[in-house]
Amino acid sequence: MVEIAVKKGNATAKIINEKKLEKSKNKSQHGSVASYFMIMPQFLGFLLFAIYPIIWVIRFAWFEFDGVTAHFNGIDNFIRLFTRDADYWLSLANTFILTFGKLAIELPLALLLAVVLNSKLKGKAFFRTMFYMPNVIGIAIIGLIFYFMFASFDGIVNNILLQFSIIKTPVNWFENKWTALVVIAIASIWQNFGINMLFFLSGLQSISKDLYECAEIDGASKIKQFFHITIPMLAPIMQIVTMLAIIGTIKMTDLVLVLTNGQPAGQSEVVMTYIFKYFFSTGEGTQVPQIGYASSMGLVTAIVVGLMTIAYLKTTKKMSSID
Amino acid sequence: MELIKKYGMNFIIYIFLMIILVITIFPILYTFFASFKSNQEILTAGTNIIPKKFTFENYKQAWLLADFKRYTFNSIYMTASIVIGTIITSSMAGYAFSRGEFKGKKIIFAAFTATMFVSLGSITLYPLVEIAKFLHINTNLWGVIIIKVFGLNIMNIYLVRSFLDTVPREIDEAATIDGCNFFRIYYEIILPLIKPIIATIGLITFRDAWNDYLMPLVFTLSNPQQSPLIVGVVSLRSSGAAASSWNLMLAGTMLSIVPMLTIYLSLNRYFVQGLTSGAVKG
Repeated sequence: MVEIAVKKGNATAKIINEKKLEKSKNKSQHGSVASYFMIMPQFLGFLLFAIYPIIWVIRFAWFEFDGVTAHFNGIDNFIRLFTRDADYWLSLANTFILTFGKLAIELPLALLLAVVLNSKLKGKAFFRTMFYMPNVIGIAIIGLIFYFMFASFDGIVNNILLQFSIIKTPVNWFENKWTALVVIAIASIWQNFGINMLFFLSGLQSISKDLYECAEIDGASKIKQFFHITIPMLAPIMQIVTMLAIIGTIKMTDLVLVLTNGQPAGQSEVVMTYIFKYFFSTGEGTQVPQIGYASSMGLVTAIVVGLMTIAYLKTTKKMSSID
Repeated sequence: MELIKKYGMNFIIYIFLMIILVITIFPILYTFFASFKSNQEILTAGTNIIPKKFTFENYKQAWLLADFKRYTFNSIYMTASIVIGTIITSSMAGYAFSRGEFKGKKIIFAAFTATMFVSLGSITLYPLVEIAKFLHINTNLWGVIIIKVFGLNIMNIYLVRSFLDTVPREIDEAATIDGCNFFRIYYEIILPLIKPIIATIGLITFRDAWNDYLMPLVFTLSNPQQSPLIVGVVSLRSSGAAASSWNLMLAGTMLSIVPMLTIYLSLNRYFVQGLTSGAVKG
């Protein structure tokens, strides 16, 4: 009896297993068709809005194209770019000056705030919320706000500086290349220090408390702990955050368009706004869009940024693993 | 002695934090108060930040005369469409990449990820307009909406996928045995489960769509009536009568940042979650 029951049991188990197998087979076939449908929207977007535009730019970099007629002109665009267009290189130089000048303040500030707010401090949630706040405001609007504040005649910054007798006459911030760049940097730091602080904070929270306890027992001071535990343990996150910040600054477009629009006379132009103006003919002296030439500038810039990223990752390779 | 030392240290820290806090909120407060000043007062206020006489005239003028009513409407429908569309496309794709088994899954995912590294920023704006021209959506906000919704949102896909990887598979296996198909599982079981991550994606998408400037600008260059709020406000700056419309610009600026700040301050938990989990791990 028992034997039969077991056999029966086995048989039913077998049948159930087989059924299950069939079902799971069905599922995977079913699932695969459905999966294709479900990634289809993003796949179409990937082809149309990510891949095609890149190919388009690469192609038209070799053309002269004003938006209506296009003809192939070989490497002429590149010859023009490398030999006759000093303004492009000026804008690229501005971009790098801005990047390094800005990050030299932004990242240490973000790190310092993260360390401070990672301790047991009253009201730290409040400070964290507030410091990240500028990041939710649109960058174009930030450009507008700083344009108000640094207005040459009755801007609040000039008025405050006059009040405290730091300056004697109002500064025309946008009439000098360097002060214009300083205003751009301030606006950009104001927007971004909060997000970098949050990145650092999430890195700090992943450091094990035991390390600090051990150091404490060994008698290491807080400052020593910072340089010998915090900094090395944060290295991988620092590498990523710095890279994101560099790439983000190189791609800066909206802020400069709104804040200085290249004033004075294109001196504060960054590389992206410079190229933008050739694409959409909104700048000075480019009444006819020069889309082909803009494409070649875009291509060269993309290659420069790409090479820089690779070089950066190579030189900071040590940072990505904690020893 | 020890106590005083500790207290002193905290004191210095608080002073430092307060200085940064003032720098952080000053531009916002300044704009806020200035938006209630008459144009006369804006231009002659000196260091007075709080207006002598509060006036709502700027908002009234901006709303009725300077077309901000239309801009606000445009912003709302553009942002709402992008948020809803993006939630659908990225949650579906994230689900398919987490649970689906299909040929080429790995390759497609790797290709999607690679786009993060070769993005050319505003350089590809022109070809995007060209594509939109081809699809006849190049002179209104639908072009922006379609590009944003269908355009690859790899960070969102990452967020959904990694969230789903923490949801036990038994749940959808049980549903499969009950006869649910792959899509119904997504629709009836997974979607309600991943609400927290959808909230995060929704908020981040909302922020980006509401704040976007360059793409809506390019798509509404020939059709300013379609401009969203930010494009409308900024266009006042470059118009010839910039100095006489400062009050309108200030009111418009406030109109465009107040909704954002309100949402941020009430839901900031979700913002921070999405940022830290998405950007650092992804």
